[in-house]
Amino acid sequence: MTNGSTAGVLAVDVDGVRKTYGRRIRALQGVALHVAPGEIFGLLGPNGAGKSTLVKVLMTLVRADEAHGSVLGHPVGSSAALEGIGYLPEHHRFPAFLTGRQAVEFSGAMSKVDRPTRKRRAAHLLDRVGLGSWMDRKLGSYSKGMKQRAGLAAALVNDPQLVVLDEPTDGVDPVGRREIRDLLVEMRAEGRTVLLNSHLLSEVEGVCDRVGILVQGRLAAQGTIDELTASSRRYEIVIAGEAPSWCDAETRIESVPAGTLQSVGIAGAGTKLMFLGLDAPGAQPLLDRLRAEGRTVVSVHTVRESLEDLFLRAVTDPSTGLILKPGAAR
Amino acid sequence: MTQTAAIFLSAYRELSARRLFWLALVINVLVVALFASLGINEQGIGFLGWTFDSPFYNTTTTSPETFYKSLFVALGVDWWLGLIATLLALVTTCGIIPDLVAPGSIDLLLAKPIGRARLFLTKYATGLLFAALQVSVFSLASFAAIGLRGGVWEWGLFLAVPIVTFFYSLLYCICALVGMLTKSSVASLILTLLAWTVIFSVNLSESIVVAGRIANSLETAAIEKELAAGVTKDGSEPLQEDDIDALRTDLQKAKDNRTNWDRAYFWFHGIKSFVPKTGDTLELLDRWLLASASMPTRDPDSERGPQRAFGPRRVKRGEYERALKDEERSRSIVWVLGTSAAFEAGILLLATVVFVRRDY
Repeated sequence: MTNGSTAGVLAVDVDGVRKTYGRRIRALQGVALHVAPGEIFGLLGPNGAGKSTLVKVLMTLVRADEAHGSVLGHPVGSSAALEGIGYLPEHHRFPAFLTGRQAVEFSGAMSKVDRPTRKRRAAHLLDRVGLGSWMDRKLGSYSKGMKQRAGLAAALVNDPQLVVLDEPTDGVDPVGRREIRDLLVEMRAEGRTVLLNSHLLSEVEGVCDRVGILVQGRLAAQGTIDELTASSRRYEIVIAGEAPSWCDAETRIESVPAGTLQSVGIAGAGTKLMFLGLDAPGAQPLLDRLRAEGRTVVSVHTVRESLEDLFLRAVTDPSTGLILKPGAAR
Repeated sequence: MTQTAAIFLSAYRELSARRLFWLALVINVLVVALFASLGINEQGIGFLGWTFDSPFYNTTTTSPETFYKSLFVALGVDWWLGLIATLLALVTTCGIIPDLVAPGSIDLLLAKPIGRARLFLTKYATGLLFAALQVSVFSLASFAAIGLRGGVWEWGLFLAVPIVTFFYSLLYCICALVGMLTKSSVASLILTLLAWTVIFSVNLSESIVVAGRIANSLETAAIEKELAAGVTKDGSEPLQEDDIDALRTDLQKAKDNRTNWDRAYFWFHGIKSFVPKTGDTLELLDRWLLASASMPTRDPDSERGPQRAFGPRRVKRGEYERALKDEERSRSIVWVLGTSAAFEAGILLLATVVFVRRDY
């Protein structure tokens, strides 16, 4: 990887990014995004939330009304910043008359990579993404998934410090998706930062160190998945038989705060007791009480929100409980 | 430099992937083969063994060198390169700018460390590559044909490369601007052809006005000369009173018309100053290439052939055509190329500003 002088500097460190299309469509309303070097950051959000606009602002495709900060330690949109970035746009269109090798070499040349280096890297990267035997065929003959792989190779040809990928697994079959996920992990191991824009929550959950959720042009949440789901973490204790009478608020045990204990009957299999937001020591008095009453504890395990739950929570209006309208704010 | 070279290499690959590119190249060679198959001898013009007698074109009036240069300019440059090959080039290259700004394509380029203005202008220059390659092949083939058939190795033929490429750029800048604004290859082609028609009409109108103005000037001078001499035009007998009255009436009419021609010239020449001089640009090649050759010119006393529209009645056709040619060749190269280049620069500036300021 290109060894820049940006050690310790955030790969993406932008604040107050605003963009309004025309006079009405407020695509970004003061977004702050901070991506640490060497991490995989997942950018999530419903359609029209501003994800693509934010990525395009970073890649200079869209001129922000306002943006402060830096990318790889250089001003946003500067030539120096772009030299260290590898970018794979969504719905990219490489010229069909080029071969895979020529397309990757062209991408390298446009990133100012010298000729011998880009020739060597093109062959290596195309082999790495599984197109070794196709590299001298025209891109016009490639399937969608193969074009996506070629695009990934092109994004890496300048040995970037920051790789920005917009829906990289779009059109790729399940095996290919797995390979691309592995490639993302390899990139992280090589010390690269990856900014991943994807609709596939399972994909993001599987590889991302941190995520940001954009909703109507604002960053609704940003952090590790653990941090973002901490408030939803709970213990689930399954016991045989019916729920104890002290589960209701009036007869609760003293060590369990009000409102944190719920019971759900499991048809023919006992009762599930859920303790919201409790840590392990906090659950012990409850287990003691259950055992003291001679109840059979079938299982105890911790549960937290999935990324999908978190996502849905972020896009739900807390005051109405309704899903926020898709699209940018007007 | 690496980026510019890469864009040009990619453009060449794009052009060479198109059948029209190779078709145009083959036609280029065929056109040269056609005029290489023509010859000139003492009787007239030969073609594949046949001789067509011509009192005007034969080796006593025209050297083989001049004959082939004339063919190169009149047939090769004015008709083939200046019209048909230009149309083929526009059809082939009209998609370059719309393809550049197409979603998915522009993203890949703007994300690279290259300035937007430089990217756009380099892409524009690649559009001229097609024309430059075609003219280069044509000039090279013509150079060989004239060398082998006419016995002269005329390096001046290669002036066609910059001149015709510049001529093409005057149209292609319009194509690039429309392609930038509409993102449509078809729209850019159609509107460029429309603009070309307008430019041609302005140039033609101005030429007609210039011809009329010269005819008026020659006519006035001829009448004044006849009146001063006091004899008829053929000099056989003195002018009668009626003849003098008629001449004075004609002189007054000619002077009255002069005002109209001057006014028309002011407007048409003024308008022409702001549009590209496509015809005058190609005419430069004729001026430079044939001026040095012993090109036969019509005898000033010649009265053969029909008189041109607005032509003077009292002046011989040969003299009138010479005056027209002299006027054509007296036009400043700086004016021809400078005002055309200013037009192109203006259009390109507008297209570049749109490209640089647009969100993709």
